[in-house]
Amino acid sequence: MVENRPILNFVTHAVLILGVLFLCFPVWMALVASTHGPDALSKSPIPLWFGGQGWDNYTQLLSAGLPAAGGVPIGMMMLNSLIMALVITFGKIAISIISAYAIVYFRFPFRMAFFWMIFLTLMLPVEVRILPTFDVVTKLGMLNTYAGLTIPLIASATATFLFRQFFLTIPDELVEAARIDRAGPVRFFIDILLPMSRTNIAALFIILFIYGWNQYLWPLLVTTDEALYTVVMGIQRMVNSGESLPVWHFVMGTAVLGMIPPVVVVVAMQKLFVKGLVESEK
Amino acid sequence: MQKRVIFRSKSLPYLLVLPQIVITLVFFFWPSYQALESSFFIEDAFGFSREWVGLRNYAELFADPGYLRSFRTTLIFGLSVAALALGMSLGLAVAANRVLRAAQVYRTLLIWPYAVAPALAGVIWYFLMNPSMGIVAYWLEGLGVEWNHYVNGDQALLLVVVAAAWKQVSYNFLFFLAGLQSIPKSLIEAAAIDRAGPIRRFWTITLPLLSPTTFFLLVVNLVYAFFDTFALIHATTEGGPADATSVLVFRVYNTGFIGQDYGSSAAQSVILMALVMGMTFIQFRYVERKVNY
Amino acid sequence: MATLNLNALGKTYPGGVTAASDVSAEISDGEFVVLVGPSGCGKSTILRMIAGLETITTGQLDIDGSRVNDREPGERDIAMVFQNYALYPHMSVRKNMEYGLKNEGLPKAQIAERISEAARTLRLEGYLDRKPRQLSGGQRQRVAMGRAIVRQPKVFLFDEPLSNLDAKLRTELRAELKALHHRLGATFIYVTHDQVEAMSLADRIIIMNAGRVEQIGTPMDLYLRPATRFVAEFIGSPSMNMLEGRIGADRASLSFDSAPPLSLRGDLPGVEGQRIALGVRPEHLDLAGDSAGRIDLSVRFVEQLGADTVVHGAVSGAEVPLAVRLAGVQRHETGTVLPLSYAPGNLHLFDADSGRRLEVEAG
Repeated sequence: MVENRPILNFVTHAVLILGVLFLCFPVWMALVASTHGPDALSKSPIPLWFGGQGWDNYTQLLSAGLPAAGGVPIGMMMLNSLIMALVITFGKIAISIISAYAIVYFRFPFRMAFFWMIFLTLMLPVEVRILPTFDVVTKLGMLNTYAGLTIPLIASATATFLFRQFFLTIPDELVEAARIDRAGPVRFFIDILLPMSRTNIAALFIILFIYGWNQYLWPLLVTTDEALYTVVMGIQRMVNSGESLPVWHFVMGTAVLGMIPPVVVVVAMQKLFVKGLVESEK
Repeated sequence: MQKRVIFRSKSLPYLLVLPQIVITLVFFFWPSYQALESSFFIEDAFGFSREWVGLRNYAELFADPGYLRSFRTTLIFGLSVAALALGMSLGLAVAANRVLRAAQVYRTLLIWPYAVAPALAGVIWYFLMNPSMGIVAYWLEGLGVEWNHYVNGDQALLLVVVAAAWKQVSYNFLFFLAGLQSIPKSLIEAAAIDRAGPIRRFWTITLPLLSPTTFFLLVVNLVYAFFDTFALIHATTEGGPADATSVLVFRVYNTGFIGQDYGSSAAQSVILMALVMGMTFIQFRYVERKVNY
Repeated sequence: MATLNLNALGKTYPGGVTAASDVSAEISDGEFVVLVGPSGCGKSTILRMIAGLETITTGQLDIDGSRVNDREPGERDIAMVFQNYALYPHMSVRKNMEYGLKNEGLPKAQIAERISEAARTLRLEGYLDRKPRQLSGGQRQRVAMGRAIVRQPKVFLFDEPLSNLDAKLRTELRAELKALHHRLGATFIYVTHDQVEAMSLADRIIIMNAGRVEQIGTPMDLYLRPATRFVAEFIGSPSMNMLEGRIGADRASLSFDSAPPLSLRGDLPGVEGQRIALGVRPEHLDLAGDSAGRIDLSVRFVEQLGADTVVHGAVSGAEVPLAVRLAGVQRHETGTVLPLSYAPGNLHLFDADSGRRLEVEAG
């Protein structure tokens, strides 16, 4: 900041506060609505402050779910979301770090072909090849399984590139020192490369956890068994549950529950998150 | 991208790339090939027989006013989301870059929506704007705007635009802030010595230097709006009313899963793939990226 | 402790670039050998071939009489110290030193003993549990040496280990290295581009240029009897003055392109009319009494270094640059002409085309 004009400072803070309000207000309303009963939300204007039914609403959601939407407890959906998010996250990190290791530290026929194959996955998001991918998963008998929910999503060009970039910045002398210290390729990877990648792994973990947790289309396709529903996908059944009007206090409660884990991860590990996000895109 | 030192091993590297390559082949390349193949066939609803029809699926698509309207809707949707999300986040980033104290607090308060799933963001805004009891709809009514996205297609589109942009602000904000922080302070100070005021400095120094970031974000935002917002639309308007929010990805899903028209859905997939490839190409070709390959 | 035999070693990369060729040398047990030369001369390639980090494309390398061309670096019983230290950043000093020993499968007690001994030698006792980033550059380099010492290898290899340090630290560590070599009595092979480092450390120097060995010898061999013009100019600072000319008709004088002829007593080697370069070190020139001047220097600028004074200029009446190093503090104005003398034994003659030394009988 070059000059210190009071008006400019005022405008700066006004802009920021307005922005914060715009971003926070919807979630505020969701929180408020989730603590009221159906009566308070049936007529305009709805209350802007918390009601007294929060405890009841959330206990019912977590343990029993919504009868109109299949009666799956949200607690179970959240467990499914957690399993899916963690498997996708660790799966992506694991297969990406080893393929990046192979591509950077070895010379072998088809090395570049493999690199380009991984790169091309960037151009083939699930959304554009929904039906045939569904067919493949069906043929493999992976519908309604955790494997079907997660494995097709764990290829990751982004994570592979990030690790590749990081490996390229590691001085060659470190590998040479390790070779003189009698470390072979596997030992070098486990003893040196993996510990050195800790920060990158942690940063990627955050981004990928959010990615995994927030999956919607894929669980929608491969799960028809309610025992495998995830919270982000499950909410849709509450909003569009046939003839009956949505029960908004439960829907908002579910929305709040569904956003807590990823938001907590981002806020708690903010520094790593920012590093991971900005670097994985470069 | 060459390392001077490499390990000598014949089989290990193949073992290392194997998992990723298998998943890529089975779940990316094979389905993509199938989409390409079945886009040249018409299949009956039970999958018993199919007939080679050449480019007819494509021809029918481009003759279908509904599909062309989807193109238009997608474009309007994408550009609106990008404009809104980029505009807001740039303003916020410039402001946050000026704040010395409390910058950390503002940043925390501004980045968390990144973590909210598009579906949940959509549902919450759907609730806020609900014509009968949504608080925003109520306020709009006070301003004399009659809001009902169940009937009014434009309003429905606006609803999903706002919800999609709301979620994307955090992402853009972080990149703009990083871009602003990488502009050397001395440059701004030199401009100040050259008697450029803060607003002039913004237009003549800051914005041009941010243009790589802006362009990169524009592409990312369009990709996000075109492909990642399926969940948002599916969980809320379900493409309606009267196809007003039926963007291309939603249509692929609808044609294939609801309409059971595999050939047409596959043709739509192929068109979308071409679109993503084009955008990815632009992103890598014209945006400064650190990937050298 | 080991002897090394480099037998016509050569390295050609797959792209066709030859980094080193036909390098032969015998290095005896306990010797401190320095490979020196300008950057890109192939000295590091030779070191890396000895280490096993670079495959040997031609020739043979023996350590203690057995061929090691195809042995992995870890199996050659060598240790290496790198310019950028190459310490494992996530490991403590102790872990860094332990790593190789653990991989070797040494018993714990023995590892601990070796590390404490090395730490004592290198004054690192207080730092064993620190991470490399918490250490200064000099300390890091000592850790890198420690990592080498604990392995008790046959051969120590050093790849410009002092280049990343500031001048004062460099001088300090140079002395420590020399002391270390004395104490360990092991074979040291050391790469540097710094001729001062080479002269002060080496028992023998291998001086390289463009992938080939120019000369192998003790520091004083190289200084007093450089085998080639390249060696003559590389060793010594400021570098040796070179005057190019032709052998005169009587083979007792030199005629220069742009300076008065210089007469030399005795027979010059070579044939009449041969192009040669005459070299004389700045410190071997001295001020002459008016009459005894053999060569005149017209002064351009003067460097006062305190202990001595370096006068730069040109051979009077010509554009051939010439420098002289005079003892003590001296003042000479720009433009003045200084008559200089030299001892005939300090002249060096080189063939202008091949750069080879020509033996001169007298001056």
